[in-house]
Amino acid sequence: MENKVNLTLNGRAVSARQGMTILEVARENGIDIPTLCYLEDFSPMGACRLCVVEVEGSRTLVGSCHTPVTEGMVVHTHSPKVLAARKILVELLLASHPDSCLVCDKANICELRRIAADLEVGLPRFHARKHYYPVEDENPHIIRDMSKCILCRRCVIACKSAGNGSMFSVAYRGFESKVVFGCDQLVDEAAVCPDFDGCIALCPSGALRKPVKIGEERAEKALIIKG
Amino acid sequence: MPQQRVVLKNCGVIDPRRIETYLERDGFKALAKVRREMTREQVTDEIKASGLRGRGGAGFPTGIKWEGARQAPGEEKYVICNADEGEVGTFKDRYILERDPFTLIEAMAIAGYAIGAKQGYIYLRAEYHHLFDLLQNAINQAKKSGYLDGFRIEIREGAGAYICGEESALMDSIEGKRGESRYRPPFPTTSGLWGKPTIINNVETLMNIPQIILNGAGWFSQMGTERSKGTKVFSISGDVENPGVYELVLGSPLRELVEDLASAKDIKLIQIGGATGRILPYEKIDTPLAFETVLGAGAVTVYNRSRDVIDIVYRTMEFLAEESCGKCTPCRQGTEVMVEILEKFHRGEGREQDIRNLEALSQVMMLTSLCGLGQAAPNAVMDTLQYFKDAYKKRVVV
Repeated sequence: MENKVNLTLNGRAVSARQGMTILEVARENGIDIPTLCYLEDFSPMGACRLCVVEVEGSRTLVGSCHTPVTEGMVVHTHSPKVLAARKILVELLLASHPDSCLVCDKANICELRRIAADLEVGLPRFHARKHYYPVEDENPHIIRDMSKCILCRRCVIACKSAGNGSMFSVAYRGFESKVVFGCDQLVDEAAVCPDFDGCIALCPSGALRKPVKIGEERAEKALIIKG
Repeated sequence: MPQQRVVLKNCGVIDPRRIETYLERDGFKALAKVRREMTREQVTDEIKASGLRGRGGAGFPTGIKWEGARQAPGEEKYVICNADEGEVGTFKDRYILERDPFTLIEAMAIAGYAIGAKQGYIYLRAEYHHLFDLLQNAINQAKKSGYLDGFRIEIREGAGAYICGEESALMDSIEGKRGESRYRPPFPTTSGLWGKPTIINNVETLMNIPQIILNGAGWFSQMGTERSKGTKVFSISGDVENPGVYELVLGSPLRELVEDLASAKDIKLIQIGGATGRILPYEKIDTPLAFETVLGAGAVTVYNRSRDVIDIVYRTMEFLAEESCGKCTPCRQGTEVMVEILEKFHRGEGREQDIRNLEALSQVMMLTSLCGLGQAAPNAVMDTLQYFKDAYKKRVVV
C-alpha cells in the first residue's frame, strides 16, 4: 500500500499509516508514553512536553503527540536521554505544586502522581514559588483550586470544543500563566455550564473536582502506586 | 575586512519619505526585472543559489523557505515581514526602517511574486509605533506609482510581547489570538498564517533581495564564508565608546566590530544575540562572526571588567522568565526555577548542588522546549558556566 510508512520503533521495524503521530504508532504497538496535555479526539497542544521522544537526526527531542511519522524514521521512546528529560519535566511541575497530596481529593487518581511514580520521581530537586489562589467552591457543580493546576490546558480545549462559549481560557504569561474563568473571575454560584463534568473528568490533577456530598461513593478507580 | 554597505546601501542617502529618491538608486528595478523576465522558479532558484540565510537569528536558508512556499499547494499564500525586533540589544531593523522603507516594500513584492502571494504583512513591534506613518506612507507611494499591483501590504502592530517575534507566535498575534508558539511540523511554508502557506522573513533578510536579483547570486555569494554569505548588520551597545549600527561582511572577526569600530576597552565578556544569545569571554575576541560560530540577530552587547557575571545572567534570565509565553512546561517552569537559583547566587547563597541543577535543567530546556525561546533560554547560563565557573563558585556557601 502506498500510504504505509515504515519506521523503527525502539529497535523494532513497524509500519504505520500516513499521517499518524509517533504517539499513536507507539500506543498501537503497546508502548506507553506518558502524556498530560494530550487528549484523544482533539488536536494536540504540545504543551506539557512529557511525551518527548528521541528521533535520530533531530537536534532536539520531539513531542510525539504532534509529530507525524515519516518513512525511515528511527525513534527511541525510552532511551536514557528521554527518561532523564521526562523526569526533570515532572520535577519542574512538582516544584510549584502544593505538597498537599495527602489531603487532596484526587490523591489516588492523580495522573501527575502516577506519572511521577512511574518515572521514579521523588522529591523534586528544584524549587519554585507556589501559586496561592483562592479555592473556588461556591458553585454546586465544580470546585476549582488553581494552586493545583499544572496548566495542561485540557479543560480549555474541552471547553472550546464544547461549543457553549469558552468559559475557560489562558491568561497572563510565563510562570504567571493561569487558566481563568471569564476575565479572571471566581467560578461563582451563578456560573452555569451544561458540561462541567466533562472538564472535571479530564483534569489530571486536583485542580478541578466535583463537590462530593457526604456519604456519596466516589466513582473513579483508585490508583495503585508501585514501590 | 572593511565595512561594506549592502543592506544599508540607501540608508542616509535617500529620503525615506520620497519614493523618487529611491527610484534614482535603482529602486523597484529588481521587481520590474522579476515580473518581466523571470519565472517564479527562477526567482527562488536565484535566492537559493545566493546562499542567503535568515537574519533574524535562526539562519534558515531563505531560498529553501521560499521554494517550500512556492511549491506548497494552495491559492491563498502570505508574505510576512518580521519587524518585531524584540531581541535585547538589537536596533538594526529600526535603523533600516527609519531610513529605507522602500527596499523592504520592493523585496516583499518580489517575495509575493515568487511564492504566488497576493497579501503581505509587516508585523511591527509596538515600541516602533512611531514608524507606522513612515511605513504606511512608503506603501502608499509605492501603490500610487503602480509598483504594488496585485499585491497588498498591511501593517500589523504587536502589543509588546517578546515571544511574538517568534514566527509561530507572530502568526497567532496577526490572527488576533494570544501569541503563543506552535509546534512544528507543519512548518509555516505549508501551514502558516490562517493555515495557509506563508513565508516569514526578517527585515534585514528581505533588504538583501533586490540586490541579489539585480546583481546575481554569484555576486552575493562571493561575500562571506562558506556557509554564511553576504553581510550582516550589527547593533552594538554596552560598554563601548561608539555604539550603533555597523554592517560587516560575514566572517569578520568579533574584534573588528567591538574594538576597531565600537572602540570598546577593558572588555570582560560579550553577549552576542541578545538575551537568548551566546556569551563569549574576551579571550575569544578573534572568533569570526558567522552562522558557523556565533551570530544571532546581530545584537552585540559588551560588558567591561566592572560588570558582574552573575548579575548579567540573572537579569537575562529574569527577562526571559517574564517573556516566556507559558505554554510549555520546560520554558514556563524552567525559567522560573533558574531565576530562583540565580537569585541565590546573586545574594551569595548558592550551593554546589545548584550548579549541577543548572546544568541538568539547561540541557532539558534546550532539548524539550516547544520553541526557540525556551530552547535558547539557558544559553547565557551554559556559556557562563563554561567560561566563568569561578564566578558561580565564589558565591557558593560552604
